[in-house]
Amino acid sequence: MTENIIEIEGLTKVFYTDEIETHALSGVHLKIARGEYVAMSGPSGCGKSTLLSIIGLLDTPTSGRYTLNEKEVAGLNFADRSRIRNQEIGFIFQSFNLIGDLSVAENVELPLTYRAGMPSAERKQRVQESLERVNMAHRMRHYPAQLSGGQQQRVAVARALAGSPSILLADEPTGNLDSKNGEAVMKLLQELHEEGATICMVTHDPRFAAHAERQVHLFDGKIVAEGELSQLMAQL
Amino acid sequence: MNGWMQDVQYALRQLRKAPGFTVTAVLTLALGIGANAAIFTLVNAMLLKNLPVSNPKTLVRLGDNSNCCVGEGLRDDGDYTYFSTGTYQQIKKNAPEFEELAAVQAGFEYRPIVARRNGNQTEARSMMGEFVSGNYFRTFGLRPYAGRLFTGSDDVAGAPMAAVMSYEAWQRNYAGDPSVVGSTFWINTKAVTVVGIAPQGFYGDRISSTPPDFFLPIEAMPVLANAPYVHDPAVPWLYIIGRVKPGVALPSLQKKISGVLRQIFISSNGFTSASDKVLLARTHIVLTPGGGGIQNMQDQYASHLRLLMWISGLVLLIACANIANLLLVRGMARKTEMSVRAALGAMRGRIVRQLLTESVLLAVLGGVAGLIVAYAGTRMLLLMAFPGAQNLPIHASPSPAIIGFAFGLSLATGVLFGVAPAWITAKAQPADALRSGTRTTATGATLLQRTLVVLQAALSLVLLVGAGLFSQSLSKMKSTDLKLNAKNRYIVHINPQAAGYSPTQLEALYRTMGDRFHALPGVLKAGIALYTPMEDNVWNTGVVIQGQPYLDKGASWVRANAEYFDSVGTHVVMGRGIGVQDTSTAPAIAVVNQAFVKTFLKGHNPIGQHFGTSDANAGDYQIVGVVEDTAYHSISWKDKPMYFLPMTQEPARLLTTQIEKDESLYAGAIVLQTSRSMSDMETLARRTLAGINPNLSVVKFQTFDEQISDQFTGERMIARLTMLFGGLAFLLATIGLYGVNAYTVARRTSEIGIRMALGAERRNVVAMVMRGAMMQAGLGLIIGIPVALFCVRFVKSQLYDVTGTDFRVLAVAVCALAISACVAGLIPAQRAASTDPVKALRTE
Repeated sequence: MTENIIEIEGLTKVFYTDEIETHALSGVHLKIARGEYVAMSGPSGCGKSTLLSIIGLLDTPTSGRYTLNEKEVAGLNFADRSRIRNQEIGFIFQSFNLIGDLSVAENVELPLTYRAGMPSAERKQRVQESLERVNMAHRMRHYPAQLSGGQQQRVAVARALAGSPSILLADEPTGNLDSKNGEAVMKLLQELHEEGATICMVTHDPRFAAHAERQVHLFDGKIVAEGELSQLMAQL
Repeated sequence: MNGWMQDVQYALRQLRKAPGFTVTAVLTLALGIGANAAIFTLVNAMLLKNLPVSNPKTLVRLGDNSNCCVGEGLRDDGDYTYFSTGTYQQIKKNAPEFEELAAVQAGFEYRPIVARRNGNQTEARSMMGEFVSGNYFRTFGLRPYAGRLFTGSDDVAGAPMAAVMSYEAWQRNYAGDPSVVGSTFWINTKAVTVVGIAPQGFYGDRISSTPPDFFLPIEAMPVLANAPYVHDPAVPWLYIIGRVKPGVALPSLQKKISGVLRQIFISSNGFTSASDKVLLARTHIVLTPGGGGIQNMQDQYASHLRLLMWISGLVLLIACANIANLLLVRGMARKTEMSVRAALGAMRGRIVRQLLTESVLLAVLGGVAGLIVAYAGTRMLLLMAFPGAQNLPIHASPSPAIIGFAFGLSLATGVLFGVAPAWITAKAQPADALRSGTRTTATGATLLQRTLVVLQAALSLVLLVGAGLFSQSLSKMKSTDLKLNAKNRYIVHINPQAAGYSPTQLEALYRTMGDRFHALPGVLKAGIALYTPMEDNVWNTGVVIQGQPYLDKGASWVRANAEYFDSVGTHVVMGRGIGVQDTSTAPAIAVVNQAFVKTFLKGHNPIGQHFGTSDANAGDYQIVGVVEDTAYHSISWKDKPMYFLPMTQEPARLLTTQIEKDESLYAGAIVLQTSRSMSDMETLARRTLAGINPNLSVVKFQTFDEQISDQFTGERMIARLTMLFGGLAFLLATIGLYGVNAYTVARRTSEIGIRMALGAERRNVVAMVMRGAMMQAGLGLIIGIPVALFCVRFVKSQLYDVTGTDFRVLAVAVCALAISACVAGLIPAQRAASTDPVKALRTE
């Protein structure tokens, strides 16, 4: 039996602003197996980024269960969520979110510096390995502004990889890239997946969604279709 | 440790990256921390620092006030601080609880000595000499720098005359010449051997702008200074300071010493009358910590220094509020970075630590720059507080204590202004890292930012009101009619006693002085007096009018020659002034002032009346004239009875018995009135006096204006500093107000664009921004006005002729702040009004 790294049941998320209630997620059920590559898609405002935030412990659900690595994480406090996020989850953001004042190496090292007790030598080694993995080791002393968009995103991938997370979460990783660089990043994710990484990616581009083993389609805060791309197309 | 280093490195990079912000913040902090460190330098040197002696904490002073210098009679409050030689010896004998008990001359600053090294030096110098007991240096546990210090045998009548020179005087005047030790000096024309050099850094038993150059034994004083009171049991002139043995309880010792003093009084005076018995019951001595030495200067400056500490602290608080606001703005700009950090697993505490590291680093940089400001500020303060002081034992260079203070203050301010912005910035939501843009228009400044600006406005109003009150006080002081004329007047302070003159030689000396000075072209009058107005000297005595009961009131008195009243500009309003005919052989006369008449002779014609200092000698002086009241001891000197005696006259009953003992016969100053301003007057005065006698040196030379101006030194310093700090606070508050308004406008650009797109006119936009600015200033005023009025009560005692609730001052401060709020609001408002709605919406 395949081991699930993520199990979500009946997840809801409601945003309250003044007198308006916005139901971003309404009873989402989702399982992601270890080593699986899942793409989440759907129209703007369907709740895919909200779901990714909750999966990434950036946000908390209003109700429902969320088990990460067999541990219930829905009700954790800020500090515990920070710790788990740091150790179990690697983020790749649409706008890269590299810190301009830090060099490439320092950006990659950043999540490791938040881990208590990790020796400096081990951090440096992981940074080196991660950057080599994305072919950016030669630019480790550069600053983000000195890199192209594609290079920046590769550094962001290296940063996500450095902490050896259980799962990589990518939010529109190609959204700010041209098609050539977008393809390169997708190829990199594909390679990582083939090496055993679990990936959950939000994208609205069917070309990139096709890289994933499984697609999840959201609409109005609900998963309305799920399966391989061909199955999904049939369902839709 | 590694993490801390990373934080510091990153913080340094952040500061380097924003040089404008860094320079602004560091300069603001440098001013705030520097001002505080400068004031603390003085506070530390004057109020906190112990004497540079061995184990100062075990030193105890007998007495708790700064009463000085040579007195007579009993104190109404019964609180004794200075004592006669006999009393000192009795206390010493009866208090074995002291390891050592030393006596020091209470008022050595008023009678400098004249010193000349044997053979080497042609001109005698006026220098400071302090008479001390033989165990003085032993009491302080000091070792000589060279030679030896005093022993008990030096302080014995008839012993070879010895002196110890201060290290500073040795270096300054003799370049550290080793042959000074053992050499003969002519001090007040008597041969004295310098037996040693006091240790380096030892400036005596008190902080003084004129610390002693020579230490001399008490028993040498009758010979060297011809002081008649050294062995007079009725004349106190010594401060006492001692070192208590371990384990001695001070309260019981205080009780015992007070008992000893009462016993001494009983055995010397009898204390039989009812009033004497009341006075005796009150008689006591308060023991106070002696580690800081004699605290006269501390008593004089403590309230000023405390006030300045408060003021500079408030300025620093305003500076902190400004920087906190700047950091909040930066925090907003770094929101995405913080969200990313949080998304990557940084806990809130870790982000706060990172941001606090930046603030503390900023503050430490401000502190380092502040030390430079402190050095310059301390020098400025010393010049303002002690104009002309050459040998002040307070140094502007930062000591370890000052560096520690600046560093501590930097850390405290770094945390103070950094913690709130750090906390707020660290609250960035990690989920925001997923959002590439904002979904709604940004709001303006936060409540905290607005609160900080309101606080700044309120505090700066308080400081502006303070500055206004102190400058008004100074202005009133300066415009007070002292009934003196200082134009083309010069004061030459002299000490004929130190030059070796006996009282019987003085009449001829004064005549010669008059003749020689009159021979100088341009000199109109040469007044000679025991002391002059506004020189911090006053002699008091009781007054009994012949034929009237004793009123238990006294008067101040001055000896003066025939030209004195003209020379200082005092007018005779009745009878005559002192004349050339009032010589030592003529009948004793006195000229009194109007307040004297009002106090003692109301309703009587004063001319022809007789008075004296006690019932027994109520006929000593005949009043021959009345002069108008003038300020004498200080600006606030009003309605004080005074009388003036001829320079060399004594009542007939004293002519044969007392004249040799009467120190008041020695003139303390010559007042020269000239027909024009004479820049070479000092040189001429020195030359003239040296021509009479080489030992007749000039103790101090000033114009009369300068002497009067010295009376405002403390007030001038406070007024200037409050104006400086008030101005700085005002400027910081204006910048803060401008900063928040500008930031609000920048943040609301899209909102303003939308408003304009929807039809808002430019004037509506200006009004909206101005409303915000004026609201903050208005709130600041609402808080600041009552606080300012409340605070005035704490400084009222330091104000001259100012009620404390002067509404003109308040109105000016309020108007200044309102105008600054207008200016600070109008610039961003104009910018907001010129927003292009299309561009603004496109930016969003």
